[in-house]
Amino acid sequence: MPGAIPILRMGNVLLTTVHIELRDAVAEAFQADVLSAIEKRRTSGLIIDISGLDMVDTYVARILAETGRMARLMGTETVLCGMRPEVSATLVRMGYSMQGVHAALDLDEGLALLRDLQNSTKT
Amino acid sequence: MKIDTEDDVILVRRAVRDLAQAHGFDVFATAALTTAASELTRNVWVHAGKGIAVIEEVASDEQEGVRVTFQDEGPGIADIDRVLAGGFSTARSMGLGLSGSRRLVDAFDLRSIVGRGTTVEIVKWKAI
Amino acid sequence: MNTHRRFMKTLKLDEAELRSRRAFCELGEDDLARLRSIRPFAEKHTAEVVDAFYALLLSHEATRKLFPDDATVRRVKRSQSEYFLGLFEGRCDLAYVEDRLRVGAAHERIGLAPKWYLLAYRKYLDLLRERLFQAFPEAEAAAAFGSIQKVVFFDMTIAIDTYIAANLETIQRHQAALRELSTPVIRVHDRILLLPLVGAIDSARALQIMDAVLLRIVEEKAKCIILDIAGVPVVDTKVADNLVKTTASVRLLGAQTILTGISAQVARTMVQLGVDISTMHTRSFLQEGIELALEIVGKKIIAKEA
Repeated sequence: MPGAIPILRMGNVLLTTVHIELRDAVAEAFQADVLSAIEKRRTSGLIIDISGLDMVDTYVARILAETGRMARLMGTETVLCGMRPEVSATLVRMGYSMQGVHAALDLDEGLALLRDLQNSTKT
Repeated sequence: MKIDTEDDVILVRRAVRDLAQAHGFDVFATAALTTAASELTRNVWVHAGKGIAVIEEVASDEQEGVRVTFQDEGPGIADIDRVLAGGFSTARSMGLGLSGSRRLVDAFDLRSIVGRGTTVEIVKWKAI
Repeated sequence: MNTHRRFMKTLKLDEAELRSRRAFCELGEDDLARLRSIRPFAEKHTAEVVDAFYALLLSHEATRKLFPDDATVRRVKRSQSEYFLGLFEGRCDLAYVEDRLRVGAAHERIGLAPKWYLLAYRKYLDLLRERLFQAFPEAEAAAAFGSIQKVVFFDMTIAIDTYIAANLETIQRHQAALRELSTPVIRVHDRILLLPLVGAIDSARALQIMDAVLLRIVEEKAKCIILDIAGVPVVDTKVADNLVKTTASVRLLGAQTILTGISAQVARTMVQLGVDISTMHTRSFLQEGIELALEIVGKKIIAKEA
């Protein structure tokens, strides 16, 4: 189901909000959509806002973390924004700590973090 | 509840979440139970193709909680210890499904006979 | 939910429990029928029994102060009359139990101690026995008194249960308050939180610490949380594992953890246990932790110029 989750572009940053309960097929299509968007144009950062999710199981977590790692291979840093406390606690208790992606409290923080990351690679 | 399509993963966890919330579980306990239910429902669907989930309330002398039982007639699990230790990787569940779920709930009981099927029972008590 | 309804749930007073109590009390349908049959007798004596009963309550200092004025006395006498006649209604089902719990909850609320409650029943039985033996032939009176005793003892168990349920609730409230006190997450500065951990940390407390920390971080939009473990006597594998987990979940929210107050002993244990501390900032003193936290949020403490 491509296109179920809209991907916005702001300059060289991709912005997505996952606010619906993710079906497996949607999650996989989302990964493909993001990667092809990165492929099309130079992208330095990817922001995934997950503040709307009250549950992330290992399947969805894996898709998100993998997307982050794949994006990094293509030169794009990923920031997960707005993860809820209970989601974070649950993932970590399951032994899943999403290595390889950055995290931020909200969208503003996420954008600021991306800027910092870009500056630090330039110097 | 029947499990035989991918959508059932969502339906089962929604039912579990509703019952947990109705029992006054806090957000952490609700997320833990719902996530475990999601993992285990996906396990049934991916490995056995179909099965059932029974969601019910339980009470003991001191506390109340929610129990979910997953039952399938799939291939079963040969090496339960290894699966529960985590790291047993299959195509879709990355091996954290079972071991991870166990860490999220208060009681976890897994019985499996190779070739006959698997039953997993989980209980989450409400934090006082 | 009404107090007495909640008590019913807490005490698990259901059909099965009711049956079991009635059986143990040997309170049968024949008893209930007998009570129904002497209801006219009860109606005739209600006023004098209730008056005599309150004469005792009002003559004793500890119980007298529960009834400060005449209006109160009139009111409680009215409910007492209802209660008295209720004994002769000859029913003992869940509705009856609920009604008794309501009365018990009222006693608990006004502060009538169980001892006065139980001792007052003695008077009740005395007054009834006297009048029964005056009104009926001996065998009949004895049988009626036996039935009354059963109902009264049944009522007493429920009344005592009410006190127990009320106490249980108090204890639970206190425990919740204590738990909250044991994780005092303090806002040190804009976007900087501090949690001084004191005392032993078991698994239940560790879970609760993690949940509290995560909630506060989101509430306060904190950039970092300082966990000061100077007051934790022993750091074992479990505690260390929980510190690592808390750090990992704090990171997923977009904040950082600074661990301070690490003694030489704790440092030794953590390294020997093979705890992966690469993901957390650590400092030996709280002051250094606060300095690091300020640096993270882009601030600095500087000396005032002379």
